[in-house]
Amino acid sequence: MDPARPLGPAQIDVFAQLGVSTVLLGGIYALIAVGLTLIFGIMRVVNFAHGEFLMLGMYLAFWAFTLLSLDPWFVLFVSIPLFFGIGVVTYLLVMKGVIHASHNVQIFTTVGLSTALQNLALVLWSGDFHTVRPWHAATPIRLAGTAFNLSQVVAFLIAIGLTVLLVLFMRWTHTGRVMRATAQDRDAAILMGIDTDRVYRLTFAIGIAAVGAAGVLVSPLYAVYPTAGLQFVLLSYVVVVLGGLGNMMGALIGSLIVAAVEVAGSYYFGTAWKEIFYFVLFIAVLVFRPAGLFGQRGAENLGV
Amino acid sequence: MRRRISLTIAVAVVVLACTAWLTAATWGQALSGEYKIGVLEPLTGPLAGEGKRHLEGFEVVRDLINERGGVMGKRLSFVVADVPDPTAAASEANRLITRENVKIITGTFSSRLCGAASEAAARHNVIYWETSCVDPRFNKRGLKNVYRTEIDATGFGWYNIDFIVKHLAPRFNLKPNELKIAFISEDSSYGQGVTESAVARAKEVGLQVVGPVEYYNFQTINDMTPIIVKLKQLNPDVVHHIAYTNDAPLFWRQAREQNFLFKALVHAGATGYGGSDFGKAMGNDGNGVFALLEPGPGFKLESLKPDGQKIEKDFRDAIQKRTGSYPLGAHQLAGGGLWLLKVVLDRAQSDDPEKFRSAVMGLDLPVGTMINGWGVKFSETGQNSNERVQHYMLQWQNGQLVTVWPEEFTTNRAKWIPLGPWDQRK
Repeated sequence: MDPARPLGPAQIDVFAQLGVSTVLLGGIYALIAVGLTLIFGIMRVVNFAHGEFLMLGMYLAFWAFTLLSLDPWFVLFVSIPLFFGIGVVTYLLVMKGVIHASHNVQIFTTVGLSTALQNLALVLWSGDFHTVRPWHAATPIRLAGTAFNLSQVVAFLIAIGLTVLLVLFMRWTHTGRVMRATAQDRDAAILMGIDTDRVYRLTFAIGIAAVGAAGVLVSPLYAVYPTAGLQFVLLSYVVVVLGGLGNMMGALIGSLIVAAVEVAGSYYFGTAWKEIFYFVLFIAVLVFRPAGLFGQRGAENLGV
Repeated sequence: MRRRISLTIAVAVVVLACTAWLTAATWGQALSGEYKIGVLEPLTGPLAGEGKRHLEGFEVVRDLINERGGVMGKRLSFVVADVPDPTAAASEANRLITRENVKIITGTFSSRLCGAASEAAARHNVIYWETSCVDPRFNKRGLKNVYRTEIDATGFGWYNIDFIVKHLAPRFNLKPNELKIAFISEDSSYGQGVTESAVARAKEVGLQVVGPVEYYNFQTINDMTPIIVKLKQLNPDVVHHIAYTNDAPLFWRQAREQNFLFKALVHAGATGYGGSDFGKAMGNDGNGVFALLEPGPGFKLESLKPDGQKIEKDFRDAIQKRTGSYPLGAHQLAGGGLWLLKVVLDRAQSDDPEKFRSAVMGLDLPVGTMINGWGVKFSETGQNSNERVQHYMLQWQNGQLVTVWPEEFTTNRAKWIPLGPWDQRK
């Protein structure tokens, strides 16, 4: 408890555990934030309904587990194409109409979508809390004085994998280059013959597929209920701003920073303080480095 | 001979049918018109699950009331409003009063909602009848027409420490001053109210309170490990945890992962560990957790007064018929409170605030006369008394919350005291 206390084996175990908790919690935040930062960075749209797609992913895992006894790790493979499709449909029905509108209109639209999805879940599946308990969620792993569970480790590894894949995709593929070009200058991109509408549709679908997969992966760790997304989505904004809009690696590192602030703050000062700490950090970043820790200077104004 | 028997049966059936028809007809005549009251419930948002069950409890008791003469000679009916947050609670209370002309409002399940709702009702001089919230400030605002049938959070803290000192300490072979207790709680007025009163009471009776109270926001907590690591170092015998929703399964799962061993965990109220979702989430892994609540399975009907036995039985049967299970906490709070409203209206025969108030203050019924084995004695502030609103300690045993204390009210006994290793609680 007392930081001034001599460093005995018990204290080292505490540090090790806090470190492990930080990394694993950061992995979960990154998983959720990657899709958000992609949509944010390329479409310049703040998707307030992001948390609700997470919630839908959690429900998918819950129903697959309850009705068909399917492990969430298996459902993951189904969820990616499924949520890609949901992303395309949502883009065509909702986002396409407001993509050229003002930011206010976009915010109202996505907030409306968020509330509509929450209430849809409430009507369809009631407000009860559900849990998914596959074998790996109930399997504690003990390693050198620390403890965690297998579901968390896998979620973390997939978060890393997903981030790296997206970074490679953006950097090395033709489609990735087209997406970056659209983000940098929409008008110039149109003049170069890029179909920006198609780029936005693809971006939105990839972002939603990522967050749907995140929902499936976190379902064994957190309760599933209609407003489950709210618990994470506010945090994802902190992460995205911290890492720099549209910067996937930044989102990963931002997630780890937020998780570290949360875990260390909870341990040394009390859990009640954690939100104060990371929102102070959030404001400080906005004031001193508006483009985020890893974003390009001026990127925050692009296309706005 | 055989024909005679069938004839007798046929006559009996006809007579019974006529009686039933006549009775129904008599009731139909007695209940002329409708009497509407306002009901505020969180039916959407984070409290929707419990809010819906609470409303279910109201509806079941409304039907029992209407089968028993209604209120003031009329059929009792509801105007229901959805109040997911305090702003909605205030504005919907205003709407029910000004548009629907209700003279009595009841609700709201949550301590987050009851303050705002009752404030709005009081401004219009309308009777506010709260059945569930436990915020201690509720009855300390000098509002004359605001009543609460459930005890407040200070009562919860009082009962919890009483249970720890009288029941747990002897079974751990510890004197109260040798018993170490740690407190964690969600930070709404509900958690804070229960926890502050429990801490004060624990210090009064000489328990060793270890560490400061660990408060957190139940809507944003994603990781309990830092708290658990801290608690492990404090090594408490009893963890007093007031949880709201998903924070209960999160703490329990992570405590298991971290192999955090303590002798007992005690909670209070129909949320968190006291809600049915905890059992569904944890199954047998939830074994051993205590939650202070209304009576659950094992509760002895014979321990109640004759009137209490009858209404309690009818209530349980009606809930069983509607939901297929034993009444849950939210059902019982709503049911107990609404039945008590009928008792008051039978006496007052009026919704005039003055006449209603004197009827409330005139009631003096011992423990065991109402639904949940409650009694009635209101204080001048409109609060039913701790001693009359009997509460019970329940324990999760193999996926079910059963009554275990006080032992004179129940056939079940508390198990796993002290709690063994995590994988040996079957």
